[in-house]
Parts: sequence; structure tokens; C-alpha cells
Amino acid sequence: MASGYLLNRGALTLGIHCQRVCRNISLSQVREKKRWMKAYTYLMAKKLKLEGPPPPTPRSQQPHWDYHAEVQAFTHRLHENFSLELLKTAFINPCYLQMEQEKRKGLGVESETAALVLKDNVQLSKKGSAFAESFLTDWCRASFLSLPAIGVESIVGHLTSPTVITYVARNLGIEDLTMSAEFPVPDDVLCSTFMAVIGALQESSGAERTGLFLRDFLVTQLIGKDLFDMWTVVNPMGLLVEELTKRKIPLPEPRLIRSAGASTVLPLYFVGLYSDKKLLAQGPGETLAAAEEEAARVALRKLYGYTENCRPFDFSPQQQQHQQPFIQSVASN
Amino acid sequence: MTSRGTPSRFLRSVLQNGVGRYVCQLKRISIIFSKKAQSSLGARDFIEEGVVDYANKNPGTVVYVSPQPCRVPKIVAEYLNGNVREETITSKTSQQISELLTKLTNQSGLEIIRIRKPIHTDSPSIQGLWHPFTNRPPSIGPIRPQKPNSQ
Repeated sequence: MASGYLLNRGALTLGIHCQRVCRNISLSQVREKKRWMKAYTYLMAKKLKLEGPPPPTPRSQQPHWDYHAEVQAFTHRLHENFSLELLKTAFINPCYLQMEQEKRKGLGVESETAALVLKDNVQLSKKGSAFAESFLTDWCRASFLSLPAIGVESIVGHLTSPTVITYVARNLGIEDLTMSAEFPVPDDVLCSTFMAVIGALQESSGAERTGLFLRDFLVTQLIGKDLFDMWTVVNPMGLLVEELTKRKIPLPEPRLIRSAGASTVLPLYFVGLYSDKKLLAQGPGETLAAAEEEAARVALRKLYGYTENCRPFDFSPQQQQHQQPFIQSVASN
Repeated sequence: MTSRGTPSRFLRSVLQNGVGRYVCQLKRISIIFSKKAQSSLGARDFIEEGVVDYANKNPGTVVYVSPQPCRVPKIVAEYLNGNVREETITSKTSQQISELLTKLTNQSGLEIIRIRKPIHTDSPSIQGLWHPFTNRPPSIGPIRPQKPNSQ
């Protein structure tokens, strides 16, 4: 039985071998006619289908990459004067350092001969996030004078949330330069790197420039944003009553101003809020309660000075403000 | 294919670019050419004449020049939003290549597709959208929501 099996197997392998030989020595082999190509592409397509696309490689492992030049270009691109040492430190995350140490251990390199003399960005990141928080709070207070502390907090919270920060960081090309253990760079690592970049900027060119940087790249994300998208107010009517009692204005009185299509599937009600017989605000809604809530929100927006049609925020560059008087003086001369 | 079937977008910029300060969106450019091939004659000329000037003029863009045996010389432009554009520069003169580079530098890196309108704003109307009650005074007298079963 066993010998029969062996024989059988031998015959089989011989058969396969013969086949292979036959296939290799094809009779109609022509030069530059790549007969292997079809089988190869088929195999590759099958492999792609089975295994899925290969994992993305970081830009630093692809051809044409000069880290120093990239970092220098990064500073020039943003028109900022970073000190390169600090900026390079800002891009090094602790997870990268840990991975590098383990890699070296695994390769059997002694820690004395090839020591990692790199600092991580934890300090810079802490500094940067503290500065960003304080600057954004100040900016919000200066721009929306009557906004309460909770509202300011929620706006700052929105601007420093991971979604906004990673969006900004990805579009500033920080992801390529970040030294991280994993790729694609996780959101929290990218956030801390962005904050570290802010910290590095603050250390190298002062708080004023950093404030401008934050204003230009982070605060611009507020454009087109509604106040109550960032700040979830469950009971706007209660908040409005509170605000009005604070300012000693008579309490609002909701009145149905207009209604249309009440008996249809798309009814429309307009509720106006009157205070001392003056119209504070009006808002539409599909039901009376929704319309009243909307009207309260409109009134709150008006009170806080964050309406849709308010003046745009001032993002004019600092240099122009200095140059303008100079030009005027030249013109007057 | 009709124009409705083609992909389209509104006019926009990356990261509100230009509201605060202008950031050149081209982050990296690699010029790939051959040392010998006829088709990359213009590319070689450009590297002798113009590439250093270009790099000096645009410090925010990293320029890589890589000679490698190839028939089709090309420019690979990488943008800040992650898009990569490849432009072949087969048998183009130095002048044409420098024009192409200027074009690539000024672009935002967003995909080049049909733009729905030449203008766009995030806040379409400062007066508010029109509705049937626009510019009408609040009605005088009591209004009650009509009950569907009242009739």
C-alpha cells in the first residue's frame, strides 16, 4: 500500500515536472513576445483580489525624500521663522522613539554604540496646547463680547477638537513629517504633533506670531459655522429667559405670527418672540414647539452677536496693517 | 456624456487659503528625466538653466531632480492636501517646462473637474432665504393653527 502510494506520488511529481518543462520550452517562443505576461498579470490580479491593496507606505520611505529640506520648506511655506532644531523635535513622537528603541534591540545593536539622542515632543505639545487654549479663549472673548463662558468654552472645544485639528494638520502637510510608530498616523498622535508645532513656534518666534498662526489656520475654520452647531443648547428658551432677566429686559412672549398649510403634510408656522411689544426675533418650524425653539435660538444669536450676517472676522495680515500708513504718507507727499 | 453626468464641485480653496495668509499649496516636485534620451532634451536644458532659479523663487517647494533611464520624462507634483499629479514633459522645450511648473505651482491641488459656478459663497444670502412671507408685515388679529378636522 505504502509503496503503491509512493510510486503514485513519484509518477505525479514526474508528471508535473514534465509539464513544467514542456511549458517552459514552448515551441513558438518568439523574441519580445512575453508569453509569461498573461499568466503573471492574472496571478497578480488574483493576489490583489485575495489580499486587498497593499498597506500605504509613509512618504518618508518612498523615493525622493530629504528630511532636512522638507522641514526647511515647511517653515518657508508657512512664512514663519521656526528654529529648525525645535521644529524637528516637535515632529518626534514618543511612540516613534519607543518603536525605534525596540527595533534596535531586536537587531542586536548595543544601546551604547548607537544611542538614540532624540528628544520627544511631549513638553512642546503640552506648552502648545496650553497656549492654543488660552489664545483661542482670549480671541473668542474679544470677538463675541456678550457670549457667556460656556459658549466660549464650547467654541474653543470645537476648534481644539481632534476632528478640526487633524483636518488642519493633514492639509498643512504635517502628516508627512510626523515621526510616528504607525502609519497612517493616528489622530491623537497627529493632534499632539500639531500642538507641538505650535509650542515650537511659540518658543522660536514669540507669542504674537503664534497667535497670528493660530488665527490664520485654526480660527478660519469658524467661517460658515453656526453657533449652535458647536454649542449644544437643549433648552434655548430657558437660556433666553435667563439672559433677558440678567439684562433686565421684559420676558419674551411667544406669538404665532403666520401659518401656512396647517392641514397638509408640510405645515409651516412662524413664531415671533415679543418683549415689551417689540419683536425680538422670529423663527419658522414645522410644529409650534419647533418654531418657538427656533425663534429662541434666533434671539440668542442676535443677543450674542453671532448672526449669519454679522461682520466677517478680521483676518487681515499683520504686515499690511503696518504698510498701509506708509503708503498713505507717500501718497500725501 | 452630458455635463450633468460628469463629476463636479463648487469653487473652493484648501483650508480657507488666502483668508489669513497665502500658503503655496505645492509642497514637493520631482523632475524625472533621462541623461541620454532624446525626449528629455528640454528637461536637461531646463535643469541647466531654470531649476535653480525656480527653487530660489519658491522656497516652500522641495525640488528633487532625479536622472534615471526612462523614455518619458515627467514632473511629479505633490500638493498639501495629499493629491499627486504627474505631468509628462516628453519633447518639451525648457520654456514650456518652466511655464508648466508655474502652472503647477499656482494650482491648489484640488482635482480638476467641472466647476459648477465661477463664484461661490458659504453664506448665500445676508437677508435670509426667500419664503412666502418675506417682506410681509406680521398679520393683524388672532391666528390659530387650523385644525384639519374643523371643516
